[in-house]
Amino acid sequence: MVIKSPQDFGAGILFILFGAIGLFVGSDLTFGSARNMGPGYFPMIICGLIALIGVIVTVKSLAIEGPAIERIQFRPIIFILLAIAAFGLLIAQIGAVISSILLIMFAAYARRGVNLVETVIFAVTTAALVVIIFVYGLGQPMPVWWGR
Amino acid sequence: MEVFEHLATGFMAAGSLENLMFCLIGTVLGTLIGVLPGIGPIPALAILLPITFGLDPLSSLIMLAGIYYGAQYGGSTTSILVNMPGEASSVVTCIEGHQMARKGRAGAALAIAALGSFFAGTIGTVFIAAFGPPLASIAQQFNSPDYFALMLLGLVMAIVLAHGSVLKAVAMVLMGLLLGLVGTDINTGLTRYTFSLSGLWEGIDFLPLVLGLFGIVEIIRNLENPPPPRETISTRMRDLWPNKQEFRDSIPAALRGTGLGSILGILPGGGAVLASFASYTLEKKISKNPRKFGHGAVEGVAGPESANNAAAQTSFIPLLTLGIPSNPIMAIMMGAMIIQGIQPGAAVMTTRPDLFWGMVASMWIGNLMLVVINLPMIGIWVKLLSVPYRLLYPAILLFCAIGVYSTSTEPFMMVLMIVFTVFGYVLHKLGCEPAPMVLGFILGPLMEENLRRSLVISRGNPSIFIDRPISATLLVATVLMIGLIVLPQFRKTREEAFQEE
Repeated sequence: MVIKSPQDFGAGILFILFGAIGLFVGSDLTFGSARNMGPGYFPMIICGLIALIGVIVTVKSLAIEGPAIERIQFRPIIFILLAIAAFGLLIAQIGAVISSILLIMFAAYARRGVNLVETVIFAVTTAALVVIIFVYGLGQPMPVWWGR
Repeated sequence: MEVFEHLATGFMAAGSLENLMFCLIGTVLGTLIGVLPGIGPIPALAILLPITFGLDPLSSLIMLAGIYYGAQYGGSTTSILVNMPGEASSVVTCIEGHQMARKGRAGAALAIAALGSFFAGTIGTVFIAAFGPPLASIAQQFNSPDYFALMLLGLVMAIVLAHGSVLKAVAMVLMGLLLGLVGTDINTGLTRYTFSLSGLWEGIDFLPLVLGLFGIVEIIRNLENPPPPRETISTRMRDLWPNKQEFRDSIPAALRGTGLGSILGILPGGGAVLASFASYTLEKKISKNPRKFGHGAVEGVAGPESANNAAAQTSFIPLLTLGIPSNPIMAIMMGAMIIQGIQPGAAVMTTRPDLFWGMVASMWIGNLMLVVINLPMIGIWVKLLSVPYRLLYPAILLFCAIGVYSTSTEPFMMVLMIVFTVFGYVLHKLGCEPAPMVLGFILGPLMEENLRRSLVISRGNPSIFIDRPISATLLVATVLMIGLIVLPQFRKTREEAFQEE
């Protein structure tokens, strides 16, 4: 078996997984009948169709040439996700100023060749702007510092 | 004339100092984000959506509409000056507009795009005022089977217009429908697909979904493949005025574009993208000198730019009268309306006439503001293109995070946003375009409900869909569209159309 279109192969597998999980998780929902649709009726049909398309896409990917999957670069996605997580999970404890600075710092390191001085200045300025615009200007209920 | 009475109500509502201000802020912010290379109206709307939540419904809708036109227009500016389309509807502007810019006619191209858009926007507004009420009364004859058929047609159209593989687009729509069903089933009160997470009981939150799928994935994509530096063409104020010949060529093109766009905007699945492609093709077909195209034909800027703006306006009609979004952008608008507690549909026109007409009037005001902001201040927007991306993207990311936090302080929302970022990233790597998914997401619960009601009425007999003339017509159209997709000749044209990007 040779995969001729890696992108489509991956997509097909993703669809099959998505459909299969949907069918499995939804299996205890009542299906009902057309006359009296249960909560499982519509979702089950959709999951079935997704899985079916997954199978077709996968089979086609074995027969028809297609593009390769672009190489995954771990640096951008990991640092961007870290930045969001740091902000979202810490803001309630440490306040908007420090969590904004953290977000900007993490995000900046999603690129190579970071200029540390520039980034720190930028992060502090942006955090100050955030507090001025969102907390004082728009009155958003956000803790500015920790311990509140 | 009743139309003018209605419009007067609208201008009264939209003309308040406060609403004028929100309209201005919306158009400015929309242009600001839309001008950034690679960011089209969908990510722009997603990123700016949270700032409209705190406002009252009319102001927030006015601001959102402003953001949308602003983003679209900002995208045209970037297309012309940097040859980098923000999204599909400015691809054709890129072709001719950038060629004009290279010949030193950047100013003229920008002016024609702005004036054409304004003209089309004016006609589009009148169009909504004139056709909105009659369509709303037709909408009152719509029954569950008709709604179901209409949504089906809309989804099929979204598939036709999506980039890349048809099968993948179908899967995207279906996945969207399923994601839309997550939460409590309104009929039985049972929770579905919540994985015992209380944060999912009321369904997947709209904001983390769109921000993750469109806003943040966009940033990651740009970081992985930094766009090559392109020559930005500078313009001077005095070069802005088009010459006589350019005017003479573009006026009829703008008229045709406006007409075509207004009509295509109303159709299910229609909207700015379809309109600009159709108008470009039309101009190329009827031109006496088709060889000019591809080398800076002014008709190729005037027509599509007018068409996409007209369609952007009239695509609000199905949303405001039938309560059904015809494309992914309108799906985001609908999401925003629901968050504001407004269920879009014919009832809005009668129960909240100030809201409906105020929004219509604000569209015209917004278009006027765009001409004013864009032409004299073009230099400022061009400057913005030179802000380094290394400073821009952390700021945009922070903006997204604050947006989510300000609507809900639940850490779960951030987790959802992270999940959808990863999901969107995987989809991107596998060559799946997520735009049709949003449409499915919004339509999921509506489709299920209307299917259920139809089958209850007919006692489980599916022939109800072909017995009713409205739904039968819509289903025939749906089948025809599916037929078109399968036809090899059409497939080729569709692929070529998207190749030009």
